[in-house]
Amino acid sequence: MKRRIIILLLLFVAMMGKAQEKEHFSLFTDRDLYVSGETLLFKVFVPVDDQSGIVNLDLVNTNGRIISEISKRIIDHQTDGFIILPDSLSSGSYLVCASTKINPSLTVKELFITNQFAGLPESNHALRSSETDLFVEKPATSLRVEGLDKTYKTRGKASLTLNLPTELLSQISENMFVSIVETDPEYNSKTFFRHIKPIKNQIIEKEGVILDGFIKDVKTGEPYKNGVVFLSVSDTIPRFKYFITGNDGYFIFRLDNYFGKIPVVVQGFDREDKRLLKVIINHRDSLKSAVPQLETWTFSPELRKSTGNNIDASMFCKIFNYQELTASPIPVNKTDEYPFYGVTTEIVNTKLFIDLPDFTEIARELLSGVKFRANNRIPSLQIFSPALHNYFSDPPLLLIDGIPVRDLNVIKDMGSKDINRIEICRSKRFYGNLVFYGVVAIHTSKHDYTGIKASDDLIKFDLDAIQPDITLNTPVELKLNEMDLRKVLLWKPSLKPKPTINLDFETSDIRGNYKLIIHGKTRDGSNFYKEQIFEVN
Amino acid sequence: MANRILFLIILIGLSATTSLNAQDELSKKLSNVNIKGTNFITYPAYSGTPYFNEKFLIGELEFLDGTKIENIGLRYSSYRDEIIYYNTDLSTQIVIDKISIKSFSFNDENEVKRIFRRQNYTGFLTGERFFEVLSDGEIALLAYRKVDLGTCDPAYSKLGLAYQKSYSYYMYSAASGYSPIALNRNSLLSKFSKPNQKLAKKVLRKNRVVFSDEASFVLAWNLLKENGIPINF
Repeated sequence: MKRRIIILLLLFVAMMGKAQEKEHFSLFTDRDLYVSGETLLFKVFVPVDDQSGIVNLDLVNTNGRIISEISKRIIDHQTDGFIILPDSLSSGSYLVCASTKINPSLTVKELFITNQFAGLPESNHALRSSETDLFVEKPATSLRVEGLDKTYKTRGKASLTLNLPTELLSQISENMFVSIVETDPEYNSKTFFRHIKPIKNQIIEKEGVILDGFIKDVKTGEPYKNGVVFLSVSDTIPRFKYFITGNDGYFIFRLDNYFGKIPVVVQGFDREDKRLLKVIINHRDSLKSAVPQLETWTFSPELRKSTGNNIDASMFCKIFNYQELTASPIPVNKTDEYPFYGVTTEIVNTKLFIDLPDFTEIARELLSGVKFRANNRIPSLQIFSPALHNYFSDPPLLLIDGIPVRDLNVIKDMGSKDINRIEICRSKRFYGNLVFYGVVAIHTSKHDYTGIKASDDLIKFDLDAIQPDITLNTPVELKLNEMDLRKVLLWKPSLKPKPTINLDFETSDIRGNYKLIIHGKTRDGSNFYKEQIFEVN
Repeated sequence: MANRILFLIILIGLSATTSLNAQDELSKKLSNVNIKGTNFITYPAYSGTPYFNEKFLIGELEFLDGTKIENIGLRYSSYRDEIIYYNTDLSTQIVIDKISIKSFSFNDENEVKRIFRRQNYTGFLTGERFFEVLSDGEIALLAYRKVDLGTCDPAYSKLGLAYQKSYSYYMYSAASGYSPIALNRNSLLSKFSKPNQKLAKKVLRKNRVVFSDEASFVLAWNLLKENGIPINF
């Protein structure tokens, strides 16, 4: 019996070990050296067993502080996108980390970013990773590149052919990634693996990003049970979600099919209005576990020179407002045909009437069956229900540009000039387990809901939802006095493997070394690459 | 020693299960569909019933955006052509916004699945209606389960008013729209061309179909469909 249990335990431990040896993310960026203000392009192959639908890309400095966060949808275990490097980044090493919320494995790529105003540090030294758990790719010797010359003239047209043998083709599991970018042989960045502590009970991000946090009692500082948390997104048809907290005061929202930057308002309150609550959004501001051991590194004079050229090119791009990327239109997923508060029974366009100075006047003159009293310090709002033949005793749901507002003082001073239209629902409405005793939805002229003030229980911020797809701009008939300052000549992040692939590209005005690089993934989970360097002069 | 190891294994197993349960609960909470609707106001009490199903029956709802809710107590009001659900948390009957629904279904007392679909009716009194799908396909057989409030014999109802069934049946195809049909042999046969009518009669005779009620009519319809006799529509 004892022996059996020990065997069982050993088997269990062995299985746990096996589980640890998971496939990693394969992360590639267009270049290794950047100037602040430039755009970084990335490509990620996601492990096949990762069930997430969203991959997170973080730009982190060597202290572990997160500078940019990108969420990108995974399609066929891969994704690609971009990170705009802020202008204000100081010169130094940075890390790009690929991960998903449920995967404890982190693939990190080191980059060097030079500040476009300050240039390389005067000390001629910087910190670099000395990590040894490196990402390894096998060279694809059988993959042949034909038609790529050793040198090209600036602004020259070129084409090449990739020949993939049948043996390699049968091994490739996903689409390949091909790029031609400017390269500096003086700096080769490392890609390595790190492990992070997985968040407990983390929900898998499938169709969109997840927003979570806690509500706490301001007085006691304890997590608040049975509190209501509203999440609102102001839009033509406002989006709304709610969550009723459990013992731990934890709330979570899944923002499926939201793209780009979305203005979000999160508010939490006590159902009985007895306690003041504080909303805390869970937000990673650091990723210390991504930071490897660092060592001092000295710049070569060649690198200093090429960095100077890069800064000049980057400056020119800024001056001539050269747009490197075109974002694809955000996919519209029409989930709501009408607002969450129902189809309105009455719409009043205040602009069609005489100017009224405040909401009391508006309610009195224009909104029949809406009683707004602001005589004392606590204003009141009531709606007449035709079904009850009386006013609802409870106040209605008041919305300003789709954001629920509980403080009636916000609308007290709103006149006709501030309001575009007012929508009214007179019936008792239900949304899940929420009850609204009628609805008054105010659409302001500015549509910026600035009147709603942020406080402990109300947080306003722009949330980075899924990043929309992008395409790289290629020059169209440049004039003689126009500069072509592209450093990325070809970017094909998702190329279907075929026996023969023909590719065309055009060189820019930037002279130097360029690298054709092909990355792919085989069925056994390993990565292969092929690279060829040429010169543009 | 063995006991200790056994205890350790059980402990690891238990902790894993607890963690999974917590995650399941959160996932469940997240995937909850928030039903939009209005307060149900009870109908005046007259003879007859304004409902298709007097009791709430467990069914399934499908919304326009494709989300589905299963195991929900539903009651179809034939009188107002609206679907009512019982919110257990609020202990309230809620009329679900018709505009948000694609279809709903429930099993009746005889465990027969009744499927209703929201469709735009283009005939007289145009608008969105819930039709029961009696037979689906390129040409569907639909029933509009309407109940009207009408006058009746005071012997039947003291108030002189009663909810009376006024069901209507339609043949429907996306291309040709609606065509009313009565629940009898002649009405069904009239939907076929002359040569096909003979074939249809033969099939019905062979299968000994007697048109006595809705069920026999649906049976006849399905038989003719299975035999591939084309309908003139």
